[in-house]
Amino acid sequence: MKRISLWISAGLIIAATAGAVAAADMASVIHARQAHYKEIGKATKGLSEALNSPSPQLPAIQAYARQIDQLAPQIPSWFPAGSGPEAGVKTGAKPDIWAKSAEFKAAAAAFTTEAHRLDQVAAAGDLNAVRAEFPALGKACKTCHESFRQKD
Amino acid sequence: MAAEARVRVWDGPVRIVHWLIALAVPALWWTGEHDQLDWHRRIGYGVLGLLLFRLIWGFVGGSTARFAGFIRGPRTVAGYASRLFRGEKAAVVGHNPMGGWSVAALLALVLAEVGLGLFAVDVDGLEPGPLSRFVDFDAGRAAAQWHAWVFYAFLAMIGLHLAAIVFYAAVKRDNLVGPMLTGRRTAVEGAAPMAAAPLWRALVAAAVATALAVWIARGLR
Ligand code: HEC
Ligand code: HEM
Ligand code: HEM
Repeated sequence: MKRISLWISAGLIIAATAGAVAAADMASVIHARQAHYKEIGKATKGLSEALNSPSPQLPAIQAYARQIDQLAPQIPSWFPAGSGPEAGVKTGAKPDIWAKSAEFKAAAAAFTTEAHRLDQVAAAGDLNAVRAEFPALGKACKTCHESFRQKD
Repeated sequence: MAAEARVRVWDGPVRIVHWLIALAVPALWWTGEHDQLDWHRRIGYGVLGLLLFRLIWGFVGGSTARFAGFIRGPRTVAGYASRLFRGEKAAVVGHNPMGGWSVAALLALVLAEVGLGLFAVDVDGLEPGPLSRFVDFDAGRAAAQWHAWVFYAFLAMIGLHLAAIVFYAAVKRDNLVGPMLTGRRTAVEGAAPMAAAPLWRALVAAAVATALAVWIARGLR
């Protein structure tokens, strides 16, 4: 009897620890995701300001566009199952990301396409073309945020 | 009953600035909440110009527009407050001692909203305020958060503003809205009417305010 209860308590402790570890993992997944998005936000802020500037610096614009292009294809991998609001960490990720997963992936793919296009246009060095392409990228952020991000 | 004598109380610039800001605030609210940030910014720059003008006018404008005339010490305010609920009309042409502070609070809140807006960055980084280039993304997002929070304080203060106007109309039988439209009110015994400032000062103040607003809206360049 004593032995059985010892095993049960050990089992419970292990399960609780595993659960806590999983939750901590989800917290770090969510925080890493938000940090990545902030990087994207920094880049679009930098692009907006560079394009508004009377003397836009092409190398900076190219670096921002490259960074966005590199981060964009990773987006679907930032949303493993369980990293939604149920993780108990403050997150703007809506449950629809997983419930309507096809739509979410489509939004991410559309964004990736725009990000790649902007990168190419910037690399070609034509500022007016960058100006013309940038709003389409912005629209891709907004489209996804409207459906899948909780406003804070 | 003989027609009551009417005297000047608010000069033209005070009235124009007031009603333009009162129109702009609902528009800013709507455009801010509905992601119409290009219009939000244009209207916001307009308010910036009006506010700068009103601040300058508080030093060089007509007598009832001047801060020195209507920002009173605590004793005067307390004295006025203790008599507030008696039926008598205020013995001032211009802001009364309590009203003066509510004007200061309203102008400070407009200043705070415009100031935070200038540094605010939207989540997409697409419509950063013109001064956001001096701060990083996180600070710009924090400014946007405070911009949204301070707006609630601003709304509360506007609510108090409107409640006070209703109170004066209903309890003290003093119509304040008419004078804010026409610039004239019934004479107050023992109180001097407004002393106007010359037109050229309004023009110079408007020119300075416009130049400053344009410079700020362009990101200080
Ligand atoms: C495919 C969907 C999608 C696209 C495309 C997208 N986002 Fe997001 N974004 C999200 C979701 C979902 C969140 C909420 C993440 C969270 O809070 O866990 C988010 C959060 C953010 C955040 C807030 C991070 C934080 O601090 O909490 C920023 C900033 C951001 N996105 C910027 C951008 C920018 C800029 C673009 C376009 C250049 C963009 N996003 C494109 C889905 C997207
Ligand atoms: C009295 C003046 C102003 C008022 C009352 C006002 C009000 C508002 C309101 C109610 C919102 C929506 C907040 C929310 O719920 O997310 C908003 C957003 C915003 N405002 Fe203003 N605003 C003013 C001036 C300005 C100015 C001058 C600028 C910059 C030029 C500005 C830039 C912004 C930006 C960038 C946002 C979006 C923030 C976000 O998306 O998180 N505002 N404003
Ligand atoms: C919506 C935003 C509003 C803001 C920010 C605002 C702000 C102000 C400010 C700063 C003043 C002081 C005037 C000055 O000396 O420059 C003032 C006075 C006044 N406002 Fe408003 N106002 C608003 C809306 C309104 C509305 C809707 C009304 C009318 C119903 C109104 C009626 C008045 C009146 C009557 C005065 C004069 C008060 C007195 O006699 O002392 N205001 N307001």
